[in-house]
Amino acid sequence: MEVLKEKVEEEEEAEREEAAERGEKVMRPVEMRREEPPMTQEMLRDLEKKLSEIEIVIPEQPSIITRDTFDISKLPLSYQSNTLKEEHLLQVADNFARQYSHLCPDRVPLFLHPLNECGVPKFVSTTIRPTLMPYPELYNWDSCAQFVSDFLSMVPLPDPLQPVVQEEEKVPPKKYAIKPPRDLSSRFEQEQEMKKQQESKVEEEKRRKEEEQRLLEVEKAKIDPLHGLRVHAWVLVLSGKREVPESFFIDPFTGRSYSTQHDHFLGIESLWNHKNYWVNMQDCWNGCKDLVFDLGDPVRWEYLLLGTDKAHLSVAEDEEDGMNDEDVENLGKEDEDKSFDMPSSWVEKIEISPEVFETRCPNGKKVIQYKRAKLEKWAPYLNSNGLVCRLTTYEDLECTKTLEIKEWYQNREDMLELKHINKSTGLNIDYFKPGHPQALRVHSYKSMQPEMDRVMEFYETARVDGLIKREETPKTMTEYYQGRTDFLSYRHVDFGERVKKLALNSAESNPRPMVKITERFSRNPEKPADEDVAERVFLILEERIRLRYHCWDDRITASKREFLRRTEVDSKGNEIIMTPDMCISFEVEPMEHTKKLLYQYEAMMKLKNEEKLSRHQAWESELEVLEILKLREEEEEVHTLTISIYDAKRNEKSKEYREAMERVMHEEHLRQVEAQLDYLAPFLAQLPPGEKLTRWQAMRVKDECLSDFKQRLIDKANLIQARFEKETQELQKKQQWYQENQVTLTAEVEDWYLSYCSQAMFRIRILEQRLNRHKELAPLKYLALEEKLHKDPRLVEFLKVFV
Amino acid sequence: MQRLYDSVEPRVMDEHMLKLAVEEQGPQEEAGPLARQEGILFKDVLSLRLDFQNILHIDSLWQFENLRKLQLDNNIIEKIEGLERLVHLVWLDLSFNNIEAIEGLDTLVNLEDLSLFNNRISKIDSLDALVKLQVLSLGNNQIGNMMNIIYLRRFKALRTLSLSGNPIAESEDYKMFIYAYLPDLRYLDFRHIDDHMKDLARSKHQYSIDGLKQQEHLTQARLDDEQAQQEELKKHKVAFVEHLNGSFLFDSMYAEDVEGNKLAYLPGVGELLQAYKDKFVIICLNIFEYGLKQQEKRKLELDTFNECIQEAIQENQEQGKRRIAKFEEKHLLNLNAIREESNVTNIERKKVEYGEDITELFNVLMTLEMQLVEQLEETINMFERNITDLVALFIENVQSLMAQCRDLENHHHEKLLEISINTLERIVKGELNEDLPDDVRALFVDKDTIVNAVGASHDIHLLKIDNREDELVTRTNSWCTHLVDTIHKDEIMRNRRRVKEINQYIDHMQNELDNLECSDVID
Repeated sequence: MEVLKEKVEEEEEAEREEAAERGEKVMRPVEMRREEPPMTQEMLRDLEKKLSEIEIVIPEQPSIITRDTFDISKLPLSYQSNTLKEEHLLQVADNFARQYSHLCPDRVPLFLHPLNECGVPKFVSTTIRPTLMPYPELYNWDSCAQFVSDFLSMVPLPDPLQPVVQEEEKVPPKKYAIKPPRDLSSRFEQEQEMKKQQESKVEEEKRRKEEEQRLLEVEKAKIDPLHGLRVHAWVLVLSGKREVPESFFIDPFTGRSYSTQHDHFLGIESLWNHKNYWVNMQDCWNGCKDLVFDLGDPVRWEYLLLGTDKAHLSVAEDEEDGMNDEDVENLGKEDEDKSFDMPSSWVEKIEISPEVFETRCPNGKKVIQYKRAKLEKWAPYLNSNGLVCRLTTYEDLECTKTLEIKEWYQNREDMLELKHINKSTGLNIDYFKPGHPQALRVHSYKSMQPEMDRVMEFYETARVDGLIKREETPKTMTEYYQGRTDFLSYRHVDFGERVKKLALNSAESNPRPMVKITERFSRNPEKPADEDVAERVFLILEERIRLRYHCWDDRITASKREFLRRTEVDSKGNEIIMTPDMCISFEVEPMEHTKKLLYQYEAMMKLKNEEKLSRHQAWESELEVLEILKLREEEEEVHTLTISIYDAKRNEKSKEYREAMERVMHEEHLRQVEAQLDYLAPFLAQLPPGEKLTRWQAMRVKDECLSDFKQRLIDKANLIQARFEKETQELQKKQQWYQENQVTLTAEVEDWYLSYCSQAMFRIRILEQRLNRHKELAPLKYLALEEKLHKDPRLVEFLKVFV
Repeated sequence: MQRLYDSVEPRVMDEHMLKLAVEEQGPQEEAGPLARQEGILFKDVLSLRLDFQNILHIDSLWQFENLRKLQLDNNIIEKIEGLERLVHLVWLDLSFNNIEAIEGLDTLVNLEDLSLFNNRISKIDSLDALVKLQVLSLGNNQIGNMMNIIYLRRFKALRTLSLSGNPIAESEDYKMFIYAYLPDLRYLDFRHIDDHMKDLARSKHQYSIDGLKQQEHLTQARLDDEQAQQEELKKHKVAFVEHLNGSFLFDSMYAEDVEGNKLAYLPGVGELLQAYKDKFVIICLNIFEYGLKQQEKRKLELDTFNECIQEAIQENQEQGKRRIAKFEEKHLLNLNAIREESNVTNIERKKVEYGEDITELFNVLMTLEMQLVEQLEETINMFERNITDLVALFIENVQSLMAQCRDLENHHHEKLLEISINTLERIVKGELNEDLPDDVRALFVDKDTIVNAVGASHDIHLLKIDNREDELVTRTNSWCTHLVDTIHKDEIMRNRRRVKEINQYIDHMQNELDNLECSDVID
């Protein structure tokens, strides 16, 4: 119950907040009101029945939600009582309600003056207090609404229909609302559905459709009993100011905006802002679609107060002018000449501390349940691993089979931003912001074991080797590069079976043999095309190297060259170094020098070296993968969070530094105060003002000052002495008394006596110490003062003669 | 170290000596036998060392076309010569010789490092062509004039200079002078130049350097101007209307016209001439502007044509490349399949299949090429028609403008004749008051003489106009013919190249297939 109360309070706070924000920002230009339960024709019959039983509601009925769980006495007086003006307003409202129920007996009673947390009826308009908040995010309606929706947590009413009947007494939080069940089919879910549908095959689509049909039916069945009877309050933003092109609704629980034409809104009973209260007199048979939001039209909108209702559309400008002044009281003054104006709001000005603002949700945590999905939100730094948001999607309506999880992180030292876990495929994708030590951008994997399927993407500009992406399968590794000086753009390595000789196999100790390395290069404009290699393939096992060159701009074929290194021995037993059949080449433009064995030999030697290099690089890449995996594991374990140096609260170092600075400042201040202490002031004051001192006077002032100080020192010493003696005497008396009555004393009294003794002894000892210290310091202090007086600018010219 | 050639026996730099050096400095170890077996062509040599050979004359080096580095130090060379063909030379070492003057380096535009250490050079010059020069070593020479340094200012890339051991190096101001006048220099006499010292030197020689800079600046500006003018003229020439933007043609008409100039002294002719000139120049300007406009049009036409042609060719090439890439993929698989196949009949079958693939590729590529040829031919013909029309129009209009010039000339001629005859009559009657120069008066002997004189002048003028017109027409026409010819030729060349390329490629593929089977059969 307690929790509930708190929530309600928070709600209220939030509601006030929002009202405030609106009033100061959105509301100033626009106009914002709440609105009462939607009504449709079909519902009216039900209502009629109920209303015939219930009759008019008396506002002073006790609130159903009791509010005594929090201390209402601490609330300001305005919360606990009504001013005369407010009383007057309540009477006006009652009068209005009576007339209304007389004129429209078939309509729902108005929601005019609910009880507040102190059980005092308050007119709804006065619960809104426009306030300007210091957060830029709250300046525009969308981010502001988002904040409010985060801040509110929804508590369902015991009976969703009840407020319709008794709203006036017990539903002070106007925001209190239950979404029509139809809202459950969220936009997000729809998108998800769309995606799935696109991906899935026709059959699956069919099946899903059938399922949807079924679900829809289920939902419909749910809707039927309460459709249109539920209470809902929401925010209406009127067009016309701050570049609002047309009126729209904001749902306070989602922070989402809806067109006034939206199907979800079945009708408007009444609406209000901090100035007035209007009852809708238009027919809502077609939802809100045909409503005209011209509040100045008394036929369509019945106003409650004449005072401000003068503010028809034309007067809206006047209102704005008045509203420009942030002080609500000013408004009142301005309206004084009118017949009756809205009393200023009784609620406290809303204050949102930066912590609360950052926390957003109550306790910094919020869970929103969607159809087949769950959204959890946390405040930054609340979770030690930096988790701020988690979206879980489920396969079924009961939310038992998880489909995928998306987790958003903030302030992680390893720059992890989003973790996407697909439960059905087992694929994990981690997204990183720029700044990871290994320049990691995306890491998608199924297991953290090396030599498995995995894709790593990198911020290539942060890497020396310009690596963009590395894809791995158990048998291959493919790397993509960009912006390298050697124009390498792609490397693909095929691995063979590991030679089994070690128990512990890893790329470091026992690398897998490489079967084939394919490298591709982009065009190097400085080389002629038939010397610029486009692709080279090292077939390591076959000892074959295949080169493909770039294509000339005006050609369609490219030169090729294939080297086959076989160590053979000729008839004389000499090793054959190079034979023409070891190099097969196709040249687009045949050249003389490339036909030479020497040239081919040199080219092959160079390639051999490059092969070694490439193998080494591939091996290093493998090592790097190991390293990154290790690093990732460590990071996951430690998950350190970064703290901005501007975050004065969390940054320990800066906090210490600031405190140290403050201490220094404080000490400095004390010193200054002491320095400014003017010993001479009382003595100089005795002399006639404005006259120059004579030497005699100066001497006298100085002597008087010194003697006075001396006297003070002596007095102080005497005082300590006196106290010391007093304590000693008392102790002696007690001791005497004790010795006399020792025999008759009870154990308790004896204890008391002993403790007294020890305390007295302590006091005596302290006094003694203080006396001794004073005796020591007094002469020094005296000398110090004398010195100071000698240097005093007012006396110095008279005294220096004697110095 | 300097040795005089009379103290040692000079050696002749002949082919034998070069061959030895090349072999000695050529590939070593495993590659050595290969190189010896095949022999090394002089033009493949990139670096050659010929030190301590007692060479007197540089000779027989013309074959080393691709030489990058040549060392001829420690010889007794007296004259730099025979290096004209070594245009790729980057590094040239001629230190420790007996050279007296820098010369014969005008073709070595790629030279970056030149050493003339320990010679007898007294003047730095003839290096103008070496724009890439970075290192210049001139130590131990006989350079005595500090002004030689200023010559080095033109080498913007020069970073290292050595001049120690020269008479100028003994000068007190030697270093400061060089620092100041060669501000981009980093090393002097193998020592790094301190920035601080540079600043000092600069402030010390500020005044004279500023003067020098000003002068250099002016020269540069003049050069730029001249170049700009040349460019302008070139542009006009391309439009075939050069020198028509003023009175140039008119002036040239009178340049060789003796009689005409004489007749200008007649009363009333001056004004007439002035009016004539004004009108004439206006027509010339018309021609000029029209010519430029037409040139723009022709250029636009040509550019559009080239662009379209290029696009078509590119598109076609892309298609060809795609086909080949597709084929190559299959090709590798096919080769492997055949290699792994053991069954002879299967090999045969696969060979046939593969051969068919190759033929198909050939057909596809050739079809593509034939398509392109047809498309291009059509386009080229269209262009030819258009450009010819354009040129014909241009010529026609210019001719009509030239006709106006001629009319003007005729008109002027008539007027002049009239004045001349009037004057003659007045002279005969003795009514002429104005003084005329004697040679002018000499014309007025009788009617024939004066008519002849005026006629001669007229003829010259007409001739000039005709010549200019002819020149324009001829050049325009020949340009047009040449352009069209070139386009046709280029297209033919392109087509031949492509066909050759395709054939070559197909042959290679076929060969590869055949060789593969041969070796397999042998195996």
